[in-house]
Amino acid sequence: MTKEERLKKRHRAEKRFRFYGLSSIVVALLFVIILVNNIFSKGSSAFMKTVINVEVFFDPELIEIKNGATEDEILSADFFDITIETLLKSYPTKNIDEEDGLIDLFTTDAEIEIKKAFLDNNNLIGKKINLEITASDDIDQLHKGNYPRDLPEDRRRISNFQLEIYDNFVESNKIDKNFNNYFFNNGDSRDPELAGIGGALVGSFYSILICLLLAFPVAVLASIYLEEFAPKNKITDFIEININNLAAVPSIVYGLLALQILLATIQLPRSTPLVAGITLALMTLPRIIIPCRASLKAVPPSIREGALAVGASKFQSVFHHVVPLALPGTLSGTIIGLAQALGETAPLILIGMVAFVVDIPSTPVDPSSSLPVQVYLWSESAERGFVEKTSATIMMLLSFLIVMNILAVYLRQKFEKRWN
Amino acid sequence: MSDIKIKSKNLNVYYGDKQALFDVNLDLNEKEVTALIGPSGCGKSTFIRCINRMNDVIDICKVTGNIEIDGIEINDSNLDVVSLRERVGMVFQKPNPFPKSIYDNISYGPKIHGKGETKNELDEIVEKSLKKAALWEEVKDRLNEPGTGLSGGQQQRLCIARAISVNPEVILMDEPCSALDPIATAKIEELIDELKKTYTIVIVTHSMAQAVRVSQKTGFFHLGKIIEVGKTEKIFKNPDNKMTQDYITGRFG
Amino acid sequence: MNFVLIFLITIFSLSLFFYGRSKTKSISVENNIKLNALPKFYGYYLVLWCSIPALVFLLVWSLFEPVIIKTIIIETAANQGAIFNDTNEANLIYEKIKAIHLGTYFGDIDSILKESAISYAKFINLFTNSKIVLIFGIIIASVIYSLKKIKNNNKAREDVETILKGLLFVSSLIAILTTLGIIFSLLFESIKFFSVINIFDYLFGTSWSPQKAFVRDASAITADEYEELKDAFGFIPLIAGTSFIAFIAMLVAVPIGLFSGIYMAEYASMKVRRVSKPIIEILAGIPTVVYGFFAALTVGPFFRQLGESFGLTVSSESALAAGLIMGIMIIPYVSSLSDDVINSVPQSLRDGSYAVGATKSETIKQVVIPAALPGIIGSVLLAVSRAIGETMIVVMAAGLAANLTINPLDSTTTITTQIVMILVGDQEFDSPKTQSAFALGLTLFIATLILNFIAQRAVKKYREKYD
Ligand SMILES: Nc1ncnc2c1ncn2[C@@H]1O[C@H](COP(=O)(O)OP(=O)(O)O)[C@@H](O)[C@H]1O
Ligand SMILES: [Mg+2]
Repeated sequence: MTKEERLKKRHRAEKRFRFYGLSSIVVALLFVIILVNNIFSKGSSAFMKTVINVEVFFDPELIEIKNGATEDEILSADFFDITIETLLKSYPTKNIDEEDGLIDLFTTDAEIEIKKAFLDNNNLIGKKINLEITASDDIDQLHKGNYPRDLPEDRRRISNFQLEIYDNFVESNKIDKNFNNYFFNNGDSRDPELAGIGGALVGSFYSILICLLLAFPVAVLASIYLEEFAPKNKITDFIEININNLAAVPSIVYGLLALQILLATIQLPRSTPLVAGITLALMTLPRIIIPCRASLKAVPPSIREGALAVGASKFQSVFHHVVPLALPGTLSGTIIGLAQALGETAPLILIGMVAFVVDIPSTPVDPSSSLPVQVYLWSESAERGFVEKTSATIMMLLSFLIVMNILAVYLRQKFEKRWN
Repeated sequence: MSDIKIKSKNLNVYYGDKQALFDVNLDLNEKEVTALIGPSGCGKSTFIRCINRMNDVIDICKVTGNIEIDGIEINDSNLDVVSLRERVGMVFQKPNPFPKSIYDNISYGPKIHGKGETKNELDEIVEKSLKKAALWEEVKDRLNEPGTGLSGGQQQRLCIARAISVNPEVILMDEPCSALDPIATAKIEELIDELKKTYTIVIVTHSMAQAVRVSQKTGFFHLGKIIEVGKTEKIFKNPDNKMTQDYITGRFG
Repeated sequence: MNFVLIFLITIFSLSLFFYGRSKTKSISVENNIKLNALPKFYGYYLVLWCSIPALVFLLVWSLFEPVIIKTIIIETAANQGAIFNDTNEANLIYEKIKAIHLGTYFGDIDSILKESAISYAKFINLFTNSKIVLIFGIIIASVIYSLKKIKNNNKAREDVETILKGLLFVSSLIAILTTLGIIFSLLFESIKFFSVINIFDYLFGTSWSPQKAFVRDASAITADEYEELKDAFGFIPLIAGTSFIAFIAMLVAVPIGLFSGIYMAEYASMKVRRVSKPIIEILAGIPTVVYGFFAALTVGPFFRQLGESFGLTVSSESALAAGLIMGIMIIPYVSSLSDDVINSVPQSLRDGSYAVGATKSETIKQVVIPAALPGIIGSVLLAVSRAIGETMIVVMAAGLAANLTINPLDSTTTITTQIVMILVGDQEFDSPKTQSAFALGLTLFIATLILNFIAQRAVKKYREKYD
């Protein structure tokens, strides 16, 4: 090989190496884009729901209450007959099968929606109103274009007759898309069109709140001790080793800890945000302590000396001067820790948060779900409608995480400015 | 009188907005030792790093003007720095052996340049380089031990051997003795005297005595400008410039 | 009840703060004494004395009350002639008694249950009352004690600080308590498990199918039954599956992560670095359940279709899909750490290499990486420990059946998947199946601990070398 050839070869190797590096970064970035795009394209439709416009006639024959009935009377009244009548009138049917097919186009909660409309305007007996009733999951998915209607009939959940009605509704402009209030207000449900993340949102909120209330003070106090007061001895070393190791223990192990100690021994109530919050706090604690200590360490010793020089006690110098200066960094670390806790799933599954909970929890000791667990639960469901619900839940989860991370970065930047 | 090996013309160097060298014109003779002296921060290192284009490594560094080696412009974006550095070796202020064995430290350069095809050839190069760097006797029995385990002076000679191993024409030395004790320094100075038979050497030094001992020509830098150049004897006995006079007599400030 | 008590203690303590402060102020004014500490420290002093003992007592009491009541109730029920063969049945009866007490039990109530429910109510009452009485006793005692101490004490600040320092110390002990809690809870069930299943049969058994394990009476297992049990709890397929998926993940994460780290440390301009580093780190911030969803719903089916078009049978829960996605999740762990490690290799080594005419990539490959190797290995080990402890991706995208396979298109299961599968839903208490989840947890805990220990050692050694 001549000298020139050799040099050329070396330069080619250089270019190749550089290319590998660049492509690795591109691959990683590309994956972020693919993932986000995949989730958003699947999930954005879940924020809207399909509704069918029907005419409701509150026939006095079919209902036992009068105008001016009390709220309790209306709530306990039976609107079943009116509902069936209304739905059947929306399209001509020939036999009982077709009737069933027609009714199946609407949500199973149609009766409740009609009752609610009546309640909102309590003098409708004998009157007709136009009402938008939520469509069933199948029609919802069909209308959003997620349903393959060109399959043969025996492999479809929607019959030819139902398709015919649907097409007719579309032509006569009876079908519309509205904001999906159920998705935000409802708890879990077996029917995708009724399922919502209300319960999971509240459950996650309580869990994270408890996690914050427990982990933040303990982490700050522990960091202050280790950074400012701890003598250099075996116990301190041991505590440090413990913290470093705990930060790397797989989260599922914390689930086992919670199962054995919190549920089996102390007998706290299963499936509740209380237990979830404590578990997450234990898990998050070391992950907060590490950045807390770093930000305490970053406060220059001159600040401490300055305070001591004017006669402050060690305690006063730490609590009046050092801690306030380290606070933004501490908060930023805490928020990052909480963001991780918010996305944590495995330990919550072990403490029973996978239970099917319809009601929205009103206290932290009610059974509940949480956002990531809801993602897990719905992703296991077969119904097509849950795919978009799952993706939309992920979108919500990711938005919270983004907001939290931006907040953390903002705090940290503000913090860094001070020492330059 | 020997031929001119390296010639710089109107060399200007900037680190970002800050100019570090101003219109430096300097000729360096072949197979001779040129010493560069001057207070710290005056641009000596910056200058010699231009000769093997080590400043390319620093993002913010911009070089304008010309440097010729054997009449060929090297401050040219088309020039291949890899082959330039093969011809112009460098020894740094702090010994920086690689965390590898002594043998691998020396054979690294020849290997990447394809100079030793066989093990025998490599062995030969290693032995020759170490001998030239006056280190062979001390390390010949432990060529497989890490280079970082040697003493400071030995490490610096190892670095010199590493520079020699690719058979360069020029060797740049940036304060090669500043981290060494007097005995190690004396050894390196002896070595430089020997090496100038084969190589053109540029040495930056803080010690006037060292400049007098090893060099034939001396250049005095101040604030990024070359103030005076000439035969070492003349510079130290009878400088033309008042500033040079003050600097070499230690009255600088 | 407890919340009310905590509330009362807080209110009481706060009012003592103002009392203590004004009292000391007036004393010092009246008698013209110069106090050694600011009056507010006397306030703090009282607050601490009033609240801490009472709160600690409340906590300890609440921890032990349920256990004690349970033991007493089960004991009395047994004395009255209730029959139960094992702790499971005892637990069931206890739950029934509790439900009767709360009025949420709708089954048949026999006389024993009724009696027990009455005595349960009695005990609850007794415990609650004594708790309240004791707490108030403690508060009064500590307040009297502290008031007395205040009178002839002028070092309130030092005392407050000593107590607070104790509080700081206790906070930092929580880390040790957590570790102990983990070890205790894992060992407790694992020991029970290993008293039934020989530890060597567990470690070296080649078949894992806990759903087959059914034990009528754990205290008397016949040799035949044991043969079957042994086959249900063989760890080898799980460690094989876990390592296999982790291996695939590392095949993705190490090259991509290492090359990205190198590129960012050695080639990228400040601008590129500032943008791409946080974006890559997003990958570590995405909850793993999201990856699991993506792997199970998009990547798995995609691979199956791709395989079909090549005439291959690909399981939709293939090890490949789970491993690939896990690898992508792990990229930032490798890239950030190796970026840091490479950045801390001293520039003088690179200069030395450039000076003999090496190209940048030669310098990186032959000088920088060998110098950074211990740190890089450390970061890879940390990534491995992350991979084997990862749960959601494998629960959602890997299989449930423990196949011993090295075909990446086949499905395999992992340690974490099995823990979740065993513990999700209804658990039979005291069955080897439930206990096996804790044995798996213990194994996982020890494995990650060892990996982390080695990794942290390697990184630390490396840092010491160049700092
Ligand atoms: N990497 C760099 N970035 C910015 N400025 C530099 C850098 N290296 C050197 N300088 C500046 O250039 C001037 C000359 O430096 P140098 O050549 O190292 O001086 P000497 O070697 O004579 O002590 C100094 O003012 C120094 O601050
Ligand atoms: Mg210099």
